[in-house]
Amino acid sequence: MSEDQVFAIGKHRAHLPGNFLYASTNHLWAARPDGSGIEMGPGVWRFGFTSYAIALMKDVYFLDWSLAPGLRVRHLEEIGHIETSKAESGLYCPASGILLRINETLLEDPSAINTDGYGAGWLYEIDCPEAPNHLIDATAYRKHLEDNWEHTQRVLKGGINSISDEAETQGDDNG
Amino acid sequence: MSGKLTVVISQAQGKHPVKRGLEESLAAALLLEPGIDLSIVPHLVDLQPGHTGRLYLEGVTGDVVILGWLYPRAAFWLLDRIGVKGQEGASPMHPKAEDDEDLTEEEKAELADRPPAIGPSGAIPDRVITCLDLRHKDKHEPYVEEIRRILVETRSRRQTKQAQQAADRAPVLMELGLPSTGTNGNGPAKSFSAEELLQAPPGRRWYPVIDYSRCTNCLECLDFCLFGVYGADGDGRITVENQDSCKKGCPACSRVCPHQAIMFPEYKTAAIAGAPVGAIGGLKIDLSKLFGGGVGGGGDAIALAAQERDRELVKDGREAVGLAAGIPKRQTDRAPAARDELDDLVDAIDKLDI
Repeated sequence: MSEDQVFAIGKHRAHLPGNFLYASTNHLWAARPDGSGIEMGPGVWRFGFTSYAIALMKDVYFLDWSLAPGLRVRHLEEIGHIETSKAESGLYCPASGILLRINETLLEDPSAINTDGYGAGWLYEIDCPEAPNHLIDATAYRKHLEDNWEHTQRVLKGGINSISDEAETQGDDNG
Repeated sequence: MSGKLTVVISQAQGKHPVKRGLEESLAAALLLEPGIDLSIVPHLVDLQPGHTGRLYLEGVTGDVVILGWLYPRAAFWLLDRIGVKGQEGASPMHPKAEDDEDLTEEEKAELADRPPAIGPSGAIPDRVITCLDLRHKDKHEPYVEEIRRILVETRSRRQTKQAQQAADRAPVLMELGLPSTGTNGNGPAKSFSAEELLQAPPGRRWYPVIDYSRCTNCLECLDFCLFGVYGADGDGRITVENQDSCKKGCPACSRVCPHQAIMFPEYKTAAIAGAPVGAIGGLKIDLSKLFGGGVGGGGDAIALAAQERDRELVKDGREAVGLAAGIPKRQTDRAPAARDELDDLVDAIDKLDI
């Protein structure tokens, strides 16, 4: 297990607890819903926004899923939409499998994402038939954030009109 | 002088409760404001020819403030396209790209270096159209305040103009205590009911809007689009001739435009939806790219545009053409630009194991 990590965004400090794994492409954390740790393997994984994602988005206003539990999802497929005080974004699936459960409370009141992002603010659970090996630990995730910070700032500044917004359907390319 | 200001709220598409909420509180507050004629119409993009809301807008002759869920630049040029023309009103709410203090020297130089644009066509009436973006603030008060400021401006401009006119036609005897004939050059000649104005448009529309303050009439979009959206008018000026031939969701031509003059007001990327380049300010950012959307999208706008165009061609049962048709020559004429920081970043991202 990795040590807890911190990534500084200006004055804000995003905490990346060591007892979670991270889907770096989607800025989601992953953990076993039964609290049995983060040992890699197939089965049910629970996902939620990292404090880094929340720091970019600020207060969540509105969360919308285009899928219902029981349906098959593919890695990086667009599965929903979020609107916050600062941003809006499509939401993309962090792993392939069956969407098992959605945190229904958030549909009525998404504030738990901001107040308890690593706990009550969890988003959904996916039953993965194959181990989602692309998940990385907190140290690697912090490094990913550092390495991409410059690009991120450019995207935040807008004006890059060569960026595609279409969620290209991607197979499992993480091997 | 009554000096009224026409204020139009253009509604969001769909029934987003937060957006509806802001529209409603804003309407309620503006109804109580003196000196304002308030109307509510559907989203500007969806106002097809003959829609009552559009007829209403066409009939307004005085100063107008438009409040909508799109970038002011997109709203202004969208109105221009439907013949609602005027001077573009400046608002401290939406500083111009050129005035953005965060711009780097390079960006400033680039803005100053823009080639001369062809400007709007036809006569531009002497009135001001100010567009405000409802995504800018989540409370109605700042908008009401800004509208009060614009109203003061409108009135002082009108007084100046009237004084000027009076001076010009002196010493003709006309001040006989009679109300001046004619209208005060303000509201539309015909009035419509609120229901008529808000009649639901038959569907969402999707089409490009040209910013003629940037367009140089290079006609690259005309060559690139294979769906017949663009045409040239009698004077050889590029126009969006067949709006409804445009392919929903496809923003390819705006990527090809060398001057970022083509906007798709509903597109997710700020730069394509009409954001002042380099200035995002308090507006909502689209984080899709950062959250895992469009992974694999390259850094080359032209290649991406060709891909998007191919997708639409294939949907139509036509053959994909890739880069073989309508690709601007400047791509081949020009020596490859020196690699910049962004190229390196894009390559670095491509290499990431994601």
